[in-house]
Amino acid sequence: MLNHLPILIIIFPLSIAFIILLFKKYIIALSTFSILFSLASLLKFAPSVYKGQIISYHLGGWPAPLGISLLIDSLSFFFALTVLLIGMMVIIYSIPDKKYNHNYYFLLLILLSSMVGTIFTADIFNMYILYDLVAIATYLLIAYYQHGVALKASFNYLLMSAVGLSLFLLGVGSLYAMSGTLHIASISEQLPEIFAHNPQIIIMSLVLVITSMGIKMAMVPLHGWLPDAHSLAPSPVSAILSGVVVKVGLYCLIRLIFGLFSTEKILVNIASHYILMVFGAITLLFGAMMALTQTDLKRMLAYSTINQIGLILIGLGFNIYSGFEGALFHVLNHALLKSALFFCAGIIIIKTGSKKIKELAGFGKKNPVVAFCFVILSLGIIGIPPMNGFVSKFLICLAAIEAGYSILALVIIFASLITAAYYFRVIQIFYSEPIQPNSNLPNIDVAENSLFWDKYFRLWPIYILTGFSLMLGILPSLGLSLIRPAVKILLLNIIK
Amino acid sequence: MTPINISLLLFMIGLYGVISKNNLIKKIIGLAIINASVVLFFIAIGYRESGLAPIMSRSEAVDSANKIFVNPIPQALMLTAIVVSISLTAVALALVVKIYSKYKTLDVQKLYEE
Amino acid sequence: MKNSRIIRTLAQKLLPFIFLFGFYLTFHGHLSPGGGFQGGVVIATAIILLTLSYGIKETENRFKEKHLSVLEKLAILAFIFLGLLGIFFGYPFLKNFLPLGQRGCIASAGLMIPLNLVISIKVAAGMTGIFYALVKYRGEI
Repeated sequence: MLNHLPILIIIFPLSIAFIILLFKKYIIALSTFSILFSLASLLKFAPSVYKGQIISYHLGGWPAPLGISLLIDSLSFFFALTVLLIGMMVIIYSIPDKKYNHNYYFLLLILLSSMVGTIFTADIFNMYILYDLVAIATYLLIAYYQHGVALKASFNYLLMSAVGLSLFLLGVGSLYAMSGTLHIASISEQLPEIFAHNPQIIIMSLVLVITSMGIKMAMVPLHGWLPDAHSLAPSPVSAILSGVVVKVGLYCLIRLIFGLFSTEKILVNIASHYILMVFGAITLLFGAMMALTQTDLKRMLAYSTINQIGLILIGLGFNIYSGFEGALFHVLNHALLKSALFFCAGIIIIKTGSKKIKELAGFGKKNPVVAFCFVILSLGIIGIPPMNGFVSKFLICLAAIEAGYSILALVIIFASLITAAYYFRVIQIFYSEPIQPNSNLPNIDVAENSLFWDKYFRLWPIYILTGFSLMLGILPSLGLSLIRPAVKILLLNIIK
Repeated sequence: MTPINISLLLFMIGLYGVISKNNLIKKIIGLAIINASVVLFFIAIGYRESGLAPIMSRSEAVDSANKIFVNPIPQALMLTAIVVSISLTAVALALVVKIYSKYKTLDVQKLYEE
Repeated sequence: MKNSRIIRTLAQKLLPFIFLFGFYLTFHGHLSPGGGFQGGVVIATAIILLTLSYGIKETENRFKEKHLSVLEKLAILAFIFLGLLGIFFGYPFLKNFLPLGQRGCIASAGLMIPLNLVISIKVAAGMTGIFYALVKYRGEI
């Protein structure tokens, strides 16, 4: 049984999702148990993955170039661990709300299991199918409350994301036509000879892959769906969208550029190098400047996500060790911090009944613990020393100077200043006196909406995630030791 | 005009439909045209000159007598891609039905102003 | 949707043949073009034909939505169970462990016939469910 664990990590939450839809009882216990099972099975692979061992599992018994295989190496282990950890926190956060019935948990479990499936698979067509399943689950989760604006945002996201995935399938088709297999390692072995005969098709599929993954992870010209979709969704759904679903697109981009296209040095060292750096810098500045002008709390946090994704893209574009380290560490940090920020925003919206920043005055006095956690988490995203955001931003700036692009280090620091401006504006409004002393902060009775133990289930995910962030900030070697084996995989083909 | 060129032309037509038509149903039809063009692209990749349909016959001798078959793998992949396209169209139509019941219009310009 | 007597009679008489054709496509999936998905869609077409000629109320008396919904979920759990059955015998997930027969017979190719059958039931129930949802509710849930 133990060597069949890779497929059980994916299949078990999927079958529990259908059992929940069939029986409609014991929903919360079953879903928590399934994600805990997946998390425990994933942690069982931790010792062997650290030593650099690659675990592969061939579905149906067919050997590697013929059949679908699952591949657990340190890069996919790291991303799957992030996905399951944040998924566990989202399920705990959404327990006390009475409005989440069996459909919500069904969609959430399908989302989590297909994200882990996308990360584990080593077959490009299987990656397209599972990524389409992730996308369908998110369209339905964004439109869960069925308000008019949420439906429009979900439809907008559907059109852009479906076109993006069709472009990805065109890129996959061109690669298959040239090489005859669908397995990533087999294609990368044949790539040098294909590139010698027809370089145009390889360049075309590289461009198609970067464009389609750019739509899914919100690079700047292709980001139009993100502010609406992330701000009009229910709060735990926003947390998992901003924290993790965007990172799955990043993982597919990393796996394809640095695992498949990197055997031909010219493609990585010249083409994607410049594309990732330039578009990363544009995304960084654009997200920061747009977030400064927002009046809605969740929309500001959504533009802040665009900001940080631009930073990760800059870190990946340098092709040197500390750049990769900073970028992957920032993936983990941003997932922890942004999910906790969306959880805080959810509590703020429930307790005060409004989403606009201007009307949140005096929240610091009403609910001091949540406001204090918001302060610590925003210090993390800005990048101030005792938090983990400082470590990853510092590593990326260091990589910028080492690679010879010192102007990008200045751009990153400038964007961090703008980030500080818009987060500090919110914190200042929290701790200021309301203008009309009696009419702000209506006391909304939240009891009719929540099941039980409201305080515990909503606050403990925030405390746990804040605690992790502080711990990773004070002892960064804990996080970096998780990431060093993953960075070795990225460097494997470049140094060769 | 080889089938691969025609499939890329169909992709452009579908993309024009998604971008510039004002009715929501016409945008979904454009999406369906895009998915169909990708199916045509894959199957055109697997074509071999004067090849037969990849169906086995009952005896070994008839099959291995120097015949060329077309590539069956893109056809199997496209069965799955067609299923994905159908479920995407179903979800999009469900969303459009709910949008119409809330806003009583399907015109994108009017929906944008609200 | 009350149509003329000719259409109603003809749809009622054609229904078993369409079901038969759907099952033929399903069971010959490993010998000729066809398989689980195609057979399931043809079976769903039969029920849709019945709906178009008799009206949604009478069709739903025969093919109730609750039964279809339970059938759909049982089918997908049966698919996962068939895949896991190989694990109990020591093979990887979804390995073809039933005996392969002669070439060209129906009873060959091991695990493919049960998988095709299960998938066709799920697709038929799913497509009919989608059609019922789009026709019955008309957006006024």
